[in-house]
Amino acid sequence: MTSEDNAFKALLDDYIVECLPLSERIADQFVELERCWRSGEPADELLPAVKGTLHTVKGNSAMMGLTPMQDVAHALEDVCVLLTREPDARGESSAALLVEGGGLLVDLVRTAGAGDGVEAAAAFGQRVRGFLAQVGRNGSAAAEHADRRKGDRRSAPRGPGTEAAGNVVRVDFRQLDTLLEVLGEGMIEHSAVNEAYRRLMRRVGELEELSDLDRAVVALEKTMKRMEAVVMGTRLLPISTVFGRFPRLVRDLAHTAQKRVRLVTSGGETPMDKAILDRLSEPLIHLLTNAVVHGLESREDRVRSGKPEEGVIELRAASHSGRVMIVLADDGRGLDEAKIQAKAEALGLEAAGVDSGNRHAVIFAPGFSTAEQVSSLAGRGVGLDVVARSIHGLGGTIEVVSRPGQGLSFTLSLPLTLAIVRSLIIEVDRERFAVPISHVAETVRAEADAIHEINRRGVTLWRGDLIHVADGGELLGTTERADSPRRFYIVISSGAKRRGLMVDRLIGHQDVVVKGLDPALGHPDVVSGTTILGDGRVACILDAVRILDQRAAGAPSTGATERRMSA
Amino acid sequence: MTRDDLLRFADSVAKDAAPAAGTAVPGPELHLVTFALDREEFGVPVDQVREIIRVGEITRVPQAPAHVRGVANLRGRILAVVEIRTRLGLTPGVLSPRSRIIVVEIEGRVLGILVDAVLQVVKVPVEAVTAAPDEVLSPQTDYISGVARWNSRLIILLDVEKVLLLND
Repeated sequence: MTSEDNAFKALLDDYIVECLPLSERIADQFVELERCWRSGEPADELLPAVKGTLHTVKGNSAMMGLTPMQDVAHALEDVCVLLTREPDARGESSAALLVEGGGLLVDLVRTAGAGDGVEAAAAFGQRVRGFLAQVGRNGSAAAEHADRRKGDRRSAPRGPGTEAAGNVVRVDFRQLDTLLEVLGEGMIEHSAVNEAYRRLMRRVGELEELSDLDRAVVALEKTMKRMEAVVMGTRLLPISTVFGRFPRLVRDLAHTAQKRVRLVTSGGETPMDKAILDRLSEPLIHLLTNAVVHGLESREDRVRSGKPEEGVIELRAASHSGRVMIVLADDGRGLDEAKIQAKAEALGLEAAGVDSGNRHAVIFAPGFSTAEQVSSLAGRGVGLDVVARSIHGLGGTIEVVSRPGQGLSFTLSLPLTLAIVRSLIIEVDRERFAVPISHVAETVRAEADAIHEINRRGVTLWRGDLIHVADGGELLGTTERADSPRRFYIVISSGAKRRGLMVDRLIGHQDVVVKGLDPALGHPDVVSGTTILGDGRVACILDAVRILDQRAAGAPSTGATERRMSA
Repeated sequence: MTRDDLLRFADSVAKDAAPAAGTAVPGPELHLVTFALDREEFGVPVDQVREIIRVGEITRVPQAPAHVRGVANLRGRILAVVEIRTRLGLTPGVLSPRSRIIVVEIEGRVLGILVDAVLQVVKVPVEAVTAAPDEVLSPQTDYISGVARWNSRLIILLDVEKVLLLND
């Protein structure tokens, strides 16, 4: 690749970075226009706003010589000009044309540089000309547009972030990953220094020279914390980067399902680690699809039950004590209690639901779906269990609240970042493991008579519920058994599931830097990664979600044995 | 010992082993790191060896395959350590002061091989390599790529990729 190629590639990247959000906003505004016109709202302020944005995209596209984008933006501008002049021409068909063009523009901008789109743009231009001709005043409208174009230029709004453009540099996200990795190593080394220092303190006692070292160690810890915050800050993106695609998605889904749906989003500015955002889109799309297709009633049913014909789906995000909460709520029919009960019984899940104190949690169980028929939109045999699994996989939780006849809402709680996880370090048979704090409900001193046995499996009464308490050594397959009895159990939880785990010692809390599992290690069920502790030893990070998924019937230990033998 | 140290060491060994006259033109040679498992000597190509380290703490990983001993901290990086003895059908090894981890790098993947002892870095003439007798081989031993008979020694040559199951 020549340097000119590189320069063009860099310009093209800049173009996409600037124009993709703009064209997404255009497409969203067209969806909103369609909704307003259909419900008879004038939405007078929207057309001028969208025209301004279109103009910016058109100008940037022309500068890059990206003719298809330029032509589509131009055609959309013409339609907007005409519709501003001719309110009578506003309606289903003109809105559909705008929405289609908006979607096309987003696709073209997203794939800019691939050289495609000439035909799609030409075809769209053809349809716009047909539309303009059909409305009949095509000649005069276009002429006026041409007259006004000079004036337009001044009023075109600037793209977002142009003010700060001088201070913005582009960085490959992989470099930020490397930076985080290096930071992680620094944190491990710091805790090694800290630990060595504490040992030294214990050995030699108070010494004047040591107080300097003490100050340095404490200062270093503060610096590492600050560095962590700064590095994390560089990885954050507003959650609107994921939400941005949803208005059009919901519109298309509603169109196919012949429903009227309004999507209301808020908190789009809430920041999240890009690594999490990348994996959040799919579960959210799944929940949105469910809401449109199953959650909201048909138009007739809504009117019959005294609701507005248009259903509302709310998508809210907010930061809350170091986590991000996302609420997705619809005003549809809610869960069908009878059907859920029947299905839960059929699957033998009834007990699990009762246990958890939330009978609706069963809808996250594998194989659970009450949809009567498979539609082309949802219900492709992929249930909420997959959603719950991916949310859990991100260290998050998902909860459901159903108000029959009034709606269904899901609440997701997610960590801000994946790379550094606050963990409880436990010891079982002289082996140490890290358990993410977000999955530790409580640590309990195990009184001798508190653990009972049912079918040779431990159970205990915890906060009024009987929960299974597994032996840590058995679950983790430790090789040498410590002589002393296990003195503690920790309660691992995820969503509504809980399980106790007997351990020998609780070492303490620590921010651990998550390192992956080498493929040579296979796919252990109970371990999600590794980390390096302060003393330099490697510890496995327990996978709380999958530990909770295992059947209580001794599966963990026998599973491990079988695997060992077959390997 | 880093790879550069290894290569320097190998060169010095090769010089010592060269014929006294020093005039013979050497044929193609294999550059090997050899190590001991029980009473046998095995060899792996030196250009696949990144370094050789003493055995520190190895952390067992629950439910890992039987031929994986665990993971170790290699200067802040997690190194999976393969128990080559069980992979070769021997009993698991007992750690001794002579135990070493041979860190290999193949196509960007870095893995450790736990061996009883590292013996030598040698240059062996290619012509000294023969196939192992058919009678002792089986489909499960396709990681043996040959046997070098050299200076009254017998070095079993391992195909590192196959022995580490890198393609699984």
